[in-house]
Amino acid sequence: MRLRPRFRPVYAVLERELLRMFRQRTRLVAAMVRPLIWLLVIGGGFSALLGVEYQSFLVPGVLGMTMLFGAMLAALTTVYDKESGVMRMLVIAPMPHAWIVIAKVASAAAAAMLQALLLLALLAVLGYAGSGTRWGLLAAALAATSLACAAIGMLTAAFSRSLDNFAGIMNFVIFPVFFLSGSLYPVRDLPPALGWIATANPYTYGVDLLKHALLPHAASADFAVGLDFAVLALATAAAVAVASWRFSRESAYEPMIHVLAGRAK
Amino acid sequence: MNAPLGSAVDTRAAIRASGLGKRYGQLTAVDGLDIEISPGEFFGLLGPNGSGKTTTLHMLATLIRPSAGSATVAGFDVVREPVSVRAAIGLVFQESALDRMLSVAENLRFAGLLHDLPLRVIAQRQRELLELFGLEDKRDQPVATLSGGMRRALDIARGVLHQPRILFLDEPTIGLDLPNRRRIWRFIEHLRARTGMTVLLTTHYLEEAHGCDRVAFIRKGRLVESGAPRAWVERLGRHMLEVEGPDLDGLAAALEAKLGAGLREGDVAYFRCRDEDVGAIARLQAEIGSRASAWRVRRPNLNDVFLWVTDGKDLG
Repeated sequence: MRLRPRFRPVYAVLERELLRMFRQRTRLVAAMVRPLIWLLVIGGGFSALLGVEYQSFLVPGVLGMTMLFGAMLAALTTVYDKESGVMRMLVIAPMPHAWIVIAKVASAAAAAMLQALLLLALLAVLGYAGSGTRWGLLAAALAATSLACAAIGMLTAAFSRSLDNFAGIMNFVIFPVFFLSGSLYPVRDLPPALGWIATANPYTYGVDLLKHALLPHAASADFAVGLDFAVLALATAAAVAVASWRFSRESAYEPMIHVLAGRAK
Repeated sequence: MNAPLGSAVDTRAAIRASGLGKRYGQLTAVDGLDIEISPGEFFGLLGPNGSGKTTTLHMLATLIRPSAGSATVAGFDVVREPVSVRAAIGLVFQESALDRMLSVAENLRFAGLLHDLPLRVIAQRQRELLELFGLEDKRDQPVATLSGGMRRALDIARGVLHQPRILFLDEPTIGLDLPNRRRIWRFIEHLRARTGMTVLLTTHYLEEAHGCDRVAFIRKGRLVESGAPRAWVERLGRHMLEVEGPDLDGLAAALEAKLGAGLREGDVAYFRCRDEDVGAIARLQAEIGSRASAWRVRRPNLNDVFLWVTDGKDLG
């Protein structure tokens, strides 16, 4: 078996992902509007209510939110691929099936980063980002966070058989991951139980990195930069490994055959 | 290709399965299949729905792991060398494998890149295939706007874009109307003539398997019969005589006396004529044809063979 890395298939998956992203305008608009609503409505409201600079604290959180939603939704299109049949094109391609996972994660992460960059430009125009930003760290933070989100999304997709689960995935994976992170409040100020959950949530470390990069002087971050990167890298590697294992065990395809066979009867 | 010494036969076969089987819990989908298909051969796997044709195809295409037996495709083991097998084959699934949101050209480009083809090669083959399949003017249309027949044609173009040595076609014409089925068959014939590739076809439309070099019947996961369709049809007879009439029983009895036992299906009776000379039938028609309201003489086909055999009659 030739295991040399093949970049054309990865490029194929990436190109398709981006084509789809720009064709589904509403998905792209929602990815921009959702965080802005949080920032302007909730952030603005709480700032007025509490008299603290809550809005600027929220900037890393909403940037992270774009990546979380963007990467997870992109990775979850794998479930749509299984249902619509496009997965057939992927499983019949001459590459190990684990390579599908890698290509999908890379593409979902790229799509999410692109959305984050668009939002960042919007935020800069609105005056919420730009000053005091550590750009190098921000680039690395965007990459590491979107990869981790994509990997977690792919792990979810590998174990989901149909789009019927979609609402469940939103409610039981994406929202908890977002709310139980340091996005809305500093982790150190959370009650102990919530604090532990946030500490165990890999996404927390992505948001923490964004805080380091965007608010270097506000001291709003909870963890060290090195720890953040280590946790994100570990989470990405673990999620990719488990998702690849799942895909290589023909299970990526076989349930589909049963679904199709069941439908035919 | 690394073939062990003394296995010349193995490497010459395009597809070779021995004792191939698949169980899903209690259900035996495929039960100890032995098949050997030579390079360039057009092989048809026939059988009713749910007989195990698709499972067999998917095992040979490395998408399902066999639970018994072994198989090599293009000389590669389907379990140990799945990537090499997939590089050598093209597979057209029973259901569409296209992205409805992408255009015709984008789908082919996606498939080509997945097969690691350079963009230049993809562009060139895209042109050739779209021309061959009559889809040039649909190039930039989303797949969602294509008719079922065009979508199937595109799916086949997708399956042969990387010029596989072996093409698997799983019920390629299912759900299509007759003109589209004929078109699809013309494409497949063109491709075979041009590339000389091996084709393994599954279908339950028997008349479509008539062009196969060899066919095998599969029932409940087991191979029942296999052979060349032409030879089977020739064994059945040179002509089929179909008659209808007000007194079909009497007419059938009269014909049976001349032609041997026939088949009855509703208001039609079928008889086989072993003589190439239609003169004998013409004389028969002059003699008793006036009792028939319809009298048709035609060449027999695989359907007749299937009906004949399943009726328990000997091909003789």
